[in-house]
Amino acid sequence: MSSHKGLNKPIKYLIGIVIIIAILFLVNKFLHGFWLMLVLMFGINIILAISLTITNSWVGFFSIGHGGIMLAGAYAAAFFTVPPSLKRDILDLHLPSFMLNAQIGFVPALLIGGIFGTIFAVFLVLPAIRLRGFYFCTGTLGFNIIMATIAENLPNITNGAMGLREFPQYSNVWWVWGIAIALIYISLKLKKSYIGRAFIAIGKDQDLAEHMGINLLKYKIMAFGISSFFTAIGGVLWVHLILNLFPNAFGLILVFEVVTMIVIGGMGSITGAVIGAGIITFFAEVLSPFEEGFYFLGIEVPSLLGLTTVLTGVLLISVLIFKREGIMGERELSIEGIKKFFRSKKTKNNAV
Amino acid sequence: MDYFIQQFLTSLGYGSTLAVLAAGYTMTFGIIGLVNFAHGEVLMVGAFAAYFVIQIAMLPFWAGVLAAVAGSVIIALLIERVAFKPVRGVGMITLFITSLGASTVIKNLTVLVFNDRLKPFPSPKFLEGSYQIGNIFIYKKIAFIVLITILICILLVLLVKKTKIGIAMRSISYNINIAQTLGINTEMVIIIVFMISATLAGISGIFWGILFGSVQASMGAIPVVYAFIASILGGVGNVLGAIIGGYIIAVGSSLLVAYLPVDLVGLKPLFAWVIFFSILIIKPSGLFKANIK
Repeated sequence: MSSHKGLNKPIKYLIGIVIIIAILFLVNKFLHGFWLMLVLMFGINIILAISLTITNSWVGFFSIGHGGIMLAGAYAAAFFTVPPSLKRDILDLHLPSFMLNAQIGFVPALLIGGIFGTIFAVFLVLPAIRLRGFYFCTGTLGFNIIMATIAENLPNITNGAMGLREFPQYSNVWWVWGIAIALIYISLKLKKSYIGRAFIAIGKDQDLAEHMGINLLKYKIMAFGISSFFTAIGGVLWVHLILNLFPNAFGLILVFEVVTMIVIGGMGSITGAVIGAGIITFFAEVLSPFEEGFYFLGIEVPSLLGLTTVLTGVLLISVLIFKREGIMGERELSIEGIKKFFRSKKTKNNAV
Repeated sequence: MDYFIQQFLTSLGYGSTLAVLAAGYTMTFGIIGLVNFAHGEVLMVGAFAAYFVIQIAMLPFWAGVLAAVAGSVIIALLIERVAFKPVRGVGMITLFITSLGASTVIKNLTVLVFNDRLKPFPSPKFLEGSYQIGNIFIYKKIAFIVLITILICILLVLLVKKTKIGIAMRSISYNINIAQTLGINTEMVIIIVFMISATLAGISGIFWGILFGSVQASMGAIPVVYAFIASILGGVGNVLGAIIGGYIIAVGSSLLVAYLPVDLVGLKPLFAWVIFFSILIIKPSGLFKANIK
């Protein structure tokens, strides 16, 4: 065991936390504009991808309705964080007065968004729990469309298709990456715990898992609860970074991008989800100038709207055809794993 | 009462569009269990091919119909070859994701090249105008579309029930391995099913163009979901059931909107989803018998 030889556990954790804080401090200090946006979107995408991994890869219930959960969480938080002057005087929303007059900090907003998203997701699961396979997929797609339709058709509450604006700029490196790293840690621990193994067992063979004494309903709802809590938090972080919210903000295209992240990273792997989030974020942010069109050395590059989505789709299909398990498969990157990898290489070299 | 009949007759046009699309959808769904999200893009490509032939190249209407069918069949076979064949047999979810990917790629590529604005689709002269009976108008184009749909329905039922290829299709939908053992060229039958389904999607695209007078790159996104719901409603693989399912969804949502207060008209999409969840909870096998019928 390595922990006996080296430093003991608390000191290791302390060093890890100090290093992370130092890196975040440097990022916060020296990056701005495009690069800061890239780092922040990367963090949010990690949160979304890991949340989706829990339901789609572990429990094996392929949801494409997480956009609806993000929408529920984001609107719930938005009702509290948008300045009262806009809510009350300009848009004249018909909200309860404690919502109209409130402008709360980020921690309660995140919690409200997360809890509200979770409640909505559990409502999604209860009717859809009987569905299997692609029936469930389409049901969750329906949830996505239903949420967007409702948000669009309640002009007195959500301001309809015009959306909400004037959000306070709460999301920064500390919040986004703090939550992302916490989620990575929690999900890695979860994967090894009884609950996480129960999730994966359900994903491998639902009927067998039930015979082993796993309460399907309980663990499915638990998985959806955890996943949607963090998905909704991702939605809240997103709107306080982009600073506007429309009913179609989290449509099928966004969900599709997150699905691509977990597929190319490897279904079931947290490391894979992080790698996939990195690849897709970089891809999307680097290609974003092409979507709007720009001048390069006096030559006009025309606007290519939808280019990112096309390339994402091509990438997704090629991964599914040529390397179905993705980059990581179901494995995780760990220090022991890297050591083992190099050791085996060394012995191979010695043998040769 | 006149209002009800008028709304009902008008909604039959969109109903036929969905019914024909769903009939093609349910065939591939029934035979290889494929939830084909890209089917809406097959409809879109068909409608675009007709748009180019009729509006840009100024050719007559029948040439547009031929172009629509040809365009749909080509794109459907291309999708089948690139996105479905390599992952067939791996699992439903993988097929579902690749079809979602194929759909996204084709739709956004079309938006990229031709943008997403509405493009005028000229309907032929003989479909303009309407008949009047009392206070009720019967539009010629809707009558034409409904008649063609009935004709297609009869042809499809005959094809599935009476012909050799129909028997082969049914046997594959029961069990593909046994069908192969008995000497049926399953690969060929699957290709033929894809071609029939694409032809129906192309015709549905023409219906759409005649009905709304315009085509758009993102036109396939909503009908494909309704076609899926219609095929579940009619029993997977049941062609007649899917056609009835398509009519139920279109007519039902139109009538719902006709009687809702004006503020809630935007809730029209919810009708199909209410149907979807109710049918899956009450009678998951659909209203009629499943499997190719």
